[in-house]
Amino acid sequence: MGNVTRRRFLIGGSALAVSMPWLVSETFAAPTKTIKIGGLYPLTGNLASTGLDCKRGAEMAVEIINGKYDLNLPLAKTEGLPNLGGAKIEVVWADTKGEPKNGQAEAERVVTQDGVVGVIGAYQSAVTKTASQATERLRIPYVCSDSSSPTLTERGLKYFFRVSPHDGIFAHDQFNFLKDLEKVKKQKVQTLGLLYENTEFGSNVGKQENKYAQEYGYQVVADISYTANATDVTSEVGRLTKANPDVLMHASYITDAILFTKTFKEMGFNPKGMLTMAGYIEPGYLPAVKADGDYVIVRSTFALDLAKSKPLVAKVNELFKKKYGVDMSENAARSFTAPFVFADAINRARTTEPEAVVKALHETNIPGDQVIYPWKGVRFDPQFNQNIYATGTLVQVQNQQYATVWPFEAAAKDVVWPFPAWKSRK
Amino acid sequence: MRTLTRRQISVFALVLILLILYPWFVRGSFPLHIMIMVFLFAMMGVAWNIMGGYAGMFSFGQAAFFGIGAYTSSYLLTTYHVSPWIGLLAGGVLAALAAAVIGIPCSNLRGHYFAIASIAFAEIVRIHFNNWKLVGAAEGLTLPILKQSFRNFEFHSSKLPYYYILLGFLIFSLLVCSWVSTSRMGFYFRAIKESHDLAKVVGINFVRYRLAAIMISAFLTAMAGTFYAQYILYLDPDSVLVLAISVQVVLVAMLGGAGSIMGPVIGAAILLPISEGTRVWLGYKGTGIDMIVYGTLIMLISAYHPQGVWGLLSRIEGRASSAAAAGASARPTADAHAGEQSIAGAGAGSGDATQAPPVEGGGAGRKKL
Amino acid sequence: MDSGVLQQLVNSLLIGSVYSLVAIGLTLIWGVMNIINFAHGEFLMLGMFIAFWFYTLLHLDPLFSIPICAAVLFILGAAIYRFIVSKVMSGPLLAQLVVTFGVSIFLANLAVMLWTPDFRLIEKPLLSGTWSLGAVQLSIPKFAASLGSVLVSAGILLFLKKTKTGKAILAVEMNRESALLMGINTERINALSFGVGAALVGIAGAFLSMYYYIYPQVGGLFGLISFCIVALGGFGSIEGAFLAGILIGFVQTLGGYYFDPAYKYAIVFLVYLITVWIRPQGLLGW
Repeated sequence: MGNVTRRRFLIGGSALAVSMPWLVSETFAAPTKTIKIGGLYPLTGNLASTGLDCKRGAEMAVEIINGKYDLNLPLAKTEGLPNLGGAKIEVVWADTKGEPKNGQAEAERVVTQDGVVGVIGAYQSAVTKTASQATERLRIPYVCSDSSSPTLTERGLKYFFRVSPHDGIFAHDQFNFLKDLEKVKKQKVQTLGLLYENTEFGSNVGKQENKYAQEYGYQVVADISYTANATDVTSEVGRLTKANPDVLMHASYITDAILFTKTFKEMGFNPKGMLTMAGYIEPGYLPAVKADGDYVIVRSTFALDLAKSKPLVAKVNELFKKKYGVDMSENAARSFTAPFVFADAINRARTTEPEAVVKALHETNIPGDQVIYPWKGVRFDPQFNQNIYATGTLVQVQNQQYATVWPFEAAAKDVVWPFPAWKSRK
Repeated sequence: MRTLTRRQISVFALVLILLILYPWFVRGSFPLHIMIMVFLFAMMGVAWNIMGGYAGMFSFGQAAFFGIGAYTSSYLLTTYHVSPWIGLLAGGVLAALAAAVIGIPCSNLRGHYFAIASIAFAEIVRIHFNNWKLVGAAEGLTLPILKQSFRNFEFHSSKLPYYYILLGFLIFSLLVCSWVSTSRMGFYFRAIKESHDLAKVVGINFVRYRLAAIMISAFLTAMAGTFYAQYILYLDPDSVLVLAISVQVVLVAMLGGAGSIMGPVIGAAILLPISEGTRVWLGYKGTGIDMIVYGTLIMLISAYHPQGVWGLLSRIEGRASSAAAAGASARPTADAHAGEQSIAGAGAGSGDATQAPPVEGGGAGRKKL
Repeated sequence: MDSGVLQQLVNSLLIGSVYSLVAIGLTLIWGVMNIINFAHGEFLMLGMFIAFWFYTLLHLDPLFSIPICAAVLFILGAAIYRFIVSKVMSGPLLAQLVVTFGVSIFLANLAVMLWTPDFRLIEKPLLSGTWSLGAVQLSIPKFAASLGSVLVSAGILLFLKKTKTGKAILAVEMNRESALLMGINTERINALSFGVGAALVGIAGAFLSMYYYIYPQVGGLFGLISFCIVALGGFGSIEGAFLAGILIGFVQTLGGYYFDPAYKYAIVFLVYLITVWIRPQGLLGW
């Protein structure tokens, strides 16, 4: 009796276990009339708040495309895509949890189950890597405007396009800034300290900075890679103090940005200036460190004070603020672009058929006044599919606000250099 | 869990046929992906079982071997264009060697000490790979997208080949586990696990058998790593060397029933769809409910049903068959034991391999290492 | 002589003493009931969050939240023991190892759900700023945390050695069966020890919150390091955990300073492995 029950149990159990995946996926197979795009972001996990930021940016873009707005953005003034009978864009959101294997799984899922015709995302370069490899195998176009690893566009993929600047460009910017500083502001810099967290993002930046330092003739006196979630960074700062560089270049996420800022202050580390990336421009940084974040210079694609030369920025931010209650952050601003590039291409192609969309993407030529950044526009180089007009700016924290300080011609405020020592600050 | 009964064999055969036919019933890339994940963790759970469930060495560092396997084959492929199949073997061998290197000094550690040592080891490996330029450090390795073929171990238009290959790997692992279990080595493992001291008295050479267990376990886990690399075509330390992977392997084995051959398969079949399913259903709302469910499940299983699902099933069978226990010998049954430490006795039922004798349980006296 | 070294030595002591406090709680739990509390890091996280919320909502400085953190974590620890951990005490070893993993995953993600994964900082704690002592910059909150940790550690040692309950705990640690024979209610002692262990790390959390950022996964690395410290010091030995904590503080800081910051945790783990191979019972273990 027991054996029969057990066998039944096993069979039933196996059947259930085996059908569970089918049940899970069946709930997602659905026919579609709108144009579906997959949006992959870390919606849970450590980077959930960043993921949410990005999601909002993309969501805002889709709203503008689908609606009728008097804005100088592609397809804003019409409802939906005019060449496809006003078809609207719908984003199928997928949570990557920040893991590369989920990037692949989710990309495949949204393509094969939900029938998306294109993918955007995924913020973390490692996740974008696997997701875009999946779309490449499935021959579906992928437009990325929020991942900054240079390696993404060095893989020779045919279906992957990147709109935003990559870390190589940002690193180059930093050195051009130093050169400009010398030429225009007569401030000389000789030695550099390089500090970077040791995941793909940071170590790539470190590599690029080392390369440019050699090219531009600067001496690197400290080259330190560290664990982003360290419990304590006194050893790292100790080494920096010993090396005493003129300028510190720091690539970090937000947690280490906060920790280092506090430790710099605590240990009295006073370089002439600091050029940083990523973590220092996250919305959580300044509220956490308050005045201690002053004078830090961060690379940026976007700053609210661009509105001075580009009123479009203010109008978009107003819309964003009305909907979400906060100003547009850099992350939201970066993710904002990809939907437009897609919509523009699909519209010109007059079809969602992948090969035609890819061809249209190659022909993309969005003029500079239709983007919310200081770029000349969007145009992809034919070999690497990187936007050749993507450039960064440098912003400096002044009175706990980000102000564009470089390029000097586009600057909203004057750069403060050298940085005042900790002791002489308030 | 000694020789399988005819009934058990027929059940396994049935399940196997179902799995082979599964892709014909259930079409689509995502369901296949879920099953592939199930197979992957089932395989690693089976491998873990060989050292953990059977030999009592609870490793929380299997990710190290997974990563070594994945990195070895990927590095050989990207740098020297070596076939992934050869890379598979190379990875397995390297992982087994690494296991030996760490296993020798650790072979005398037990229980909690071994567990923490395994975590420390895996973390050292992860940190090292994260900084090792040769294998791409934090950037990881990107595998080239080659023409799809069995030889290249890459498939693009469909996941089916991956599915069947991994199913093959899983069956292989199960056979290895079964062999270990019914061989003299398995017999000694149970002896070592049930009583360290008695086994010593009888003169069983620990170190040799423990090493063998660890090395076999590492080899199989590394195979899983190579598969992963060929499946995802990209790896970095955070995707193959993290503690979370090691923990999930242990959970899979424990949920299904540590010390039983099929236990990890059942455990994976339950845990992985939950993990994927909750992410898909609940994940995008951004609240981590899936992990709360996960954590609760683990607490409940450990506290109320530590023998896992297999243990539960065996109890049902045990009760049914102990009445008809004409059987093999006068061995004590699974539930009987307070102080009896019989080396010959691993008992009639299947659940007892997981019941540690009192000396290893709660806070009794001095902890021996 | 490299003037920076003095700074590093001082900092080693500062971080080491906080590690010690975290580890002492863990070693108490281990010594009494042979359970490695894998959720220890999450208890730390909860201590930090409690301090944070009292600061944000009631403007209570973390210094004054210390007793609250201790009390809340004590109750939580005892409850977790009573309702979850006690069930595995008679079960297989594997279940004992795994159950606190479950608690850990549960607590960390509960925190994510309740408080979002965002990072919080206590912006203006009472104790802030730096003392400049020659070549050494001494962070005031870190110093306070460190001093506090030492005091609490000494306090708990006194409690264990001098009070009746404390001695009962030590008795159970040494030999459970004899303690039972002597009429000590071991179940109660278990719950008490779990509670006290949790309370200790809760206090450490309150200290840390004065200068470290707070988020649901913050317990991860601290927890991992504390396991190594406890094993290094010798399971069950309070003095051992204290010493080992300081030692690891040095290993981490000096390793990072002289060798390579990227490897500093690998060095910590390596030191742990080597010590445990040479002397498996740890430095001061029995």
